[in-house]
Amino acid sequence: MAEERKIRVLMSKPGVDGHWRGIVTVSRGLRDAGMEVIFGGFQSIEQIVETAIEEDVDVIGLSIHSQAHIPWTKRIVSLMEEKGIKDSVLLIIGGVIPTLDHERLKELGAAEVFGPGTPIKKIADFIRENVKRKQKVSAS
Amino acid sequence: MFKEDEIKRIEEREKEWLKRIEGVKERKARFETYSGIPIKQLYTPADIRDHNYLEDVGFPGDAPFVRGVYPTMYRSRFWTIRLFSGYGTPEDTNKRWKLLYEEGETGFSAAVDVLTFNGIDPEDPRADVEVGTEGVPLYCIDSMYALTEGLPIDKISVALVVEPFSSAPVCAMYFNMAKGRGIDIRKLMGTCQNDILTMTCGFVPFESVPPDQMLRLACDLIEWCVPEKNVPKWHPINFTTYNYREGGIDAIQELGFGFANAITHIDELIERGWKVDDFVNRLAFHLSAHKDFFEEIAKYRAARRIWYKLMKDKYEAKDPRSYEFRFHIQTAGSSLTAQQPMVNIIRTAFQALAAVLGGCQSMHTNSYDEAICLPSEEAVRLALRTQQVIQEETGVADTIDPLGGSYYVEWLTDEIEERVWKYLDKMTEAGGNVVKLLENGWLYKEMADAFHKRQRAVDEGEERVIGVNCYLSREEEPPIVFRTNEKAGEIERERLRRLKERRDNRKVEELLDKLRRACDKGENVMPAVMDATAAGATLGEVCNVYREVLGTWNPPIVI
Repeated sequence: MAEERKIRVLMSKPGVDGHWRGIVTVSRGLRDAGMEVIFGGFQSIEQIVETAIEEDVDVIGLSIHSQAHIPWTKRIVSLMEEKGIKDSVLLIIGGVIPTLDHERLKELGAAEVFGPGTPIKKIADFIRENVKRKQKVSAS
Repeated sequence: MFKEDEIKRIEEREKEWLKRIEGVKERKARFETYSGIPIKQLYTPADIRDHNYLEDVGFPGDAPFVRGVYPTMYRSRFWTIRLFSGYGTPEDTNKRWKLLYEEGETGFSAAVDVLTFNGIDPEDPRADVEVGTEGVPLYCIDSMYALTEGLPIDKISVALVVEPFSSAPVCAMYFNMAKGRGIDIRKLMGTCQNDILTMTCGFVPFESVPPDQMLRLACDLIEWCVPEKNVPKWHPINFTTYNYREGGIDAIQELGFGFANAITHIDELIERGWKVDDFVNRLAFHLSAHKDFFEEIAKYRAARRIWYKLMKDKYEAKDPRSYEFRFHIQTAGSSLTAQQPMVNIIRTAFQALAAVLGGCQSMHTNSYDEAICLPSEEAVRLALRTQQVIQEETGVADTIDPLGGSYYVEWLTDEIEERVWKYLDKMTEAGGNVVKLLENGWLYKEMADAFHKRQRAVDEGEERVIGVNCYLSREEEPPIVFRTNEKAGEIERERLRRLKERRDNRKVEELLDKLRRACDKGENVMPAVMDATAAGATLGEVCNVYREVLGTWNPPIVI
């Protein structure tokens, strides 16, 4: 049996906000949960999408604490669409984001939004379930 | 403090008492403070048997300052109520400041946006949508006029929460504005954060200068304001341990980071030829008021004694004012939850009470909606009222250091002090001053380990957080979300466009050249920054000179 490929996750911060506890905590947590984490840190939207393609990731995780989650999500989804990775790469967003905006971000194209107090396991479980589903969809 | 035979009798009685409770099952297998200090069932005079009251505790305003930094403390004047506040545009923030002032706030504090923090102008596409979303944008001198319009800044102190990369230009814009309003800046009261570790460990910087250059910029501002006496009443630095504590480090590490940071700056200024008494009285601290009530109170008491010893023994300060450890407080934002947000009001009230019992000089109380968005008017008013209830209704400020003499609090004060000295030794062994500890990544590792430890503690239920891992509510009404000004980006870009049209662009270029030369030669940057910002140079223009001459830095973050 071939060794199963580890799920690959790119973790990045769009913009210049320096709240870093969230991204480091989730990155280490996902790595401990058996995933391959590529730590992008601060990256422009263009750099994030480029890295996602180069590194052939399954998931892009954005950490946003600046309250600019709506414009950043719009920009990344539009570029993911343009580069043809919108359907193959799962976009998840975390940070201080009002619950009322979670639905809006999902309408824009985020698969899920995780706020403060989310257990790491919940994020890891979500990724495992939805990455598979996403791969099936793109394979069909 | 106690007679030896009396202590013996107490200890004998304690043994009997312990026998009585032997085998009684307790709530937890072990009791410890948030920082992991083991806690006994009970403390008695035997736990502080070695105390010499006059030497180890003393009187308020007297060595070793455990009971307070001033002789009269809150009997003569309450702490300053200073709510950290800023969003949208300088005009929007001015409205909020006026509201808070009318409601009884006694000091102002500007939370700046992420572009101001990182020295970036609003045209930059890497940050154009973050203008005013997390604080007030302060990109030029015009912004300062708008921010303070109609407010008595000659009588009330203002805190500018900016870090070493942008602190010199932002303070310079503020000082120039004050001059323009006819205020003598030698009398100007206020403070800026100007804290390397906030810029690097509290947050990570975006295209900022390397740590040794941050230290230089921070010390340039201190030197120009205080020993050179340009703005002598200004507090040109606040060692903001609050910001690193928010990452999850404990109370011992919080003080360790803070004192190591202060030592690094003091050493640099002494290296520049100043005497400690020339400037040290203006260096201030900004601590956290975290969850563990008694530990926090003991932390403030221990911090005052540590500072006194540092000044007296290490630096041989002679001026009694050099011994005063003064601090601002922020209640712990990281203790707030997005779940059941009204519970945050209660958390904040307890934390604020600890800060008052610990003798703070000024305080910010968080709003209940801060784990969700920037504070709404309703939420910030309640945060303000929390402090006013403590001042006017509880009576806790009517005697000085009311917990002094509590066997537990005195014991814990000693215990924290001892642990902080040990931690400082550990920091010295790990690399020395904070610049080296940033360069070699040690501080980043301490922070990242703390992130992970806290997350695991909450995920595994070892640290109980109401609404997160216990007492969950089935139905939750999300609170009203406060939205910042969506047009802030456009407004600020327009503000800069108009400024650039109006100013003498050639003169600005020349003055930026002067700054370039000062940076290059290692001269104090402040005179050049004052001139450039007065002539209308923007924050981004000044910071780009820094980047160009001093270089940029990527922090060695490990996950």
